[in-house]
Amino acid sequence: MTINHRLQVQDLTAGYGDRTIIKGLGIDLLPGRISAIVGANACGKSTLLRVMARLLRPRGGQVALDGAAIHGMPTRALARVLGLLPQSPIAPEGITVADLVGRGRHPHHGLMSRWGPADDHAVATALEATRITDLADRTVDELSGGQRQRAWIAMALAQDTDLLLLDEPTTYLDVAHQIELLDLLCDLNARRGTTIVMVLHDLNLAARYADQLIALRAGRVHAQDSPDAVLTEATIAQVFGLSARVMRDPVSGRPMMLPIGRHRLAAE
Amino acid sequence: MIATLATPGRHRRLAHRRIVMLALAGMLAGLFALTLMLGQSLTPPGDVLRVLAGQDVPGASFTVGQLRLPRAVIATLAGMCLGLGGAAFQVMLRNPLASPDIIGVSAGASAAAVFAIVFLSVSGASLSIIAIAAGLGVAALIYLLSFRDGVSGARLILVGIGISAMINSFIAYALVRAPGWSLQEALRWLGGSVNAVRIEQAGPLLAALVLFGGLVLSRSRDLETLRMGDDMAAALGVRVGAVRLSVMMGAVGMIAVATSVTGPIAFVAFLAGPIALRIIGPHGSVLIPAALTGAILVLGGDYVGQFLLPARYPVGVVTGALGAPFLIWLIIRANRTGGSL
Repeated sequence: MTINHRLQVQDLTAGYGDRTIIKGLGIDLLPGRISAIVGANACGKSTLLRVMARLLRPRGGQVALDGAAIHGMPTRALARVLGLLPQSPIAPEGITVADLVGRGRHPHHGLMSRWGPADDHAVATALEATRITDLADRTVDELSGGQRQRAWIAMALAQDTDLLLLDEPTTYLDVAHQIELLDLLCDLNARRGTTIVMVLHDLNLAARYADQLIALRAGRVHAQDSPDAVLTEATIAQVFGLSARVMRDPVSGRPMMLPIGRHRLAAE
Repeated sequence: MIATLATPGRHRRLAHRRIVMLALAGMLAGLFALTLMLGQSLTPPGDVLRVLAGQDVPGASFTVGQLRLPRAVIATLAGMCLGLGGAAFQVMLRNPLASPDIIGVSAGASAAAVFAIVFLSVSGASLSIIAIAAGLGVAALIYLLSFRDGVSGARLILVGIGISAMINSFIAYALVRAPGWSLQEALRWLGGSVNAVRIEQAGPLLAALVLFGGLVLSRSRDLETLRMGDDMAAALGVRVGAVRLSVMMGAVGMIAVATSVTGPIAFVAFLAGPIALRIIGPHGSVLIPAALTGAILVLGGDYVGQFLLPARYPVGVVTGALGAPFLIWLIIRANRTGGSL
């Protein structure tokens, strides 16, 4: 079993150019669990994930891995512990699925070390876990959207990190593929104990799959707790400015929200 | 059991890659041998070998040793520098248009040389040093002007094309002001050629290839990972900024040194990468195949320019004629597909 690393965001301030997007934000991610970051557009979700993955330097505060600031850590060492799947990664033209997944081994190699059996094994296991072994020799350009996303997840699996950040991994997928992908992440969490942190748009899926919901509002944490505590009518009103009904999802037993618009309302 | 699942395809591709690399190297060696043996007259292979071994062969010692050998060596080394430097830029910025000869690095080197000839009456080795320094300086200028929270490919290309246009107008001005006696020498710096090169000039080229080429090749795996985008590469442990800077320095160093020896040989840096990519396929690094392709282009282009055309043309004219249509095709295609190296 892997030892779980602890990722904490402490008093973080970050932004681009003149704009400050995140102000004094703090979160403590549950090790070995699934967390979902939710919030309205432009509330700082993706910016937060970028700072957590060290793609963006914080203006103030820090992101700490086991107590040490990640911005001071060696890049390659960090990439063996913390993986990221960006929102729209680029597959090099003509690359095969096996080679794409193999790219996940990059942080495990130095200047001199060569591809070895451990790498083959990691790639084969990742292909199998995502059920794309049959597609290994196909090029990524040939794949459907769902298969392609699975290939990217497989690459992240081959990277074999204890923590995995995902920026809206279900975008562009139909509902069946969304569920399949989130199930896959649950498997990964259950089998390897990988800590998963993802930005998700769909509140109901977030509440269903995450152990911890982090609701952001205007660059600050509005609430971070279990889905039951966070997905309430009051929170939805404050975070999204939307009135909604929250009910128990009969399938999962988790909370589920139904938005209330101005039209199509059944007569009381 | 599991471990073997992913391997057959990978090993097959590695084997294929090795064969293609050997074929490219063989083609280069064959071309090299051909240029030593066959020019205006045919020298038998035995005589060529004896000249190479340092023996004195009447007739052959001059044509092979003094004329053909320096030319072939310089063409090969310059071609490697251009091919490797160009492909490194293109891979790093994920754009075939990002070649140093398109964004004005070689233009900067030749403009400085023309300026030094016309206005300062400089010649010889100091001229080469001025050209190299100017190439590096222009690259640094482009880098600084396009820097904003890091360097993006598109911004760098646009800044480079703008700088390139400025440099060309400056060259035009210098040529108008040039006195007749220096015009000939200045023009030599505007079209690349390996006419009248001396074997001593191989020294700087070889040094550039080892030093700068080594720097670029040591980053080859990081460069491959950069093809997946800056974010993904960073998440996979690539120090994006540091890799960019060192690859850029290495590539620009090679281009500037090559330009200082042969003048700007049109489009070789730009063509070698995409041609090599089509030959070798998308698996693994394109850098070494691109260096071989660059050498083949310059060596072959020079041979065509000397012997296969109705008049004798410098190699830059031949590669220019080859490169221009490719540039147009690439722009049309990029508009359609957003394709990349």
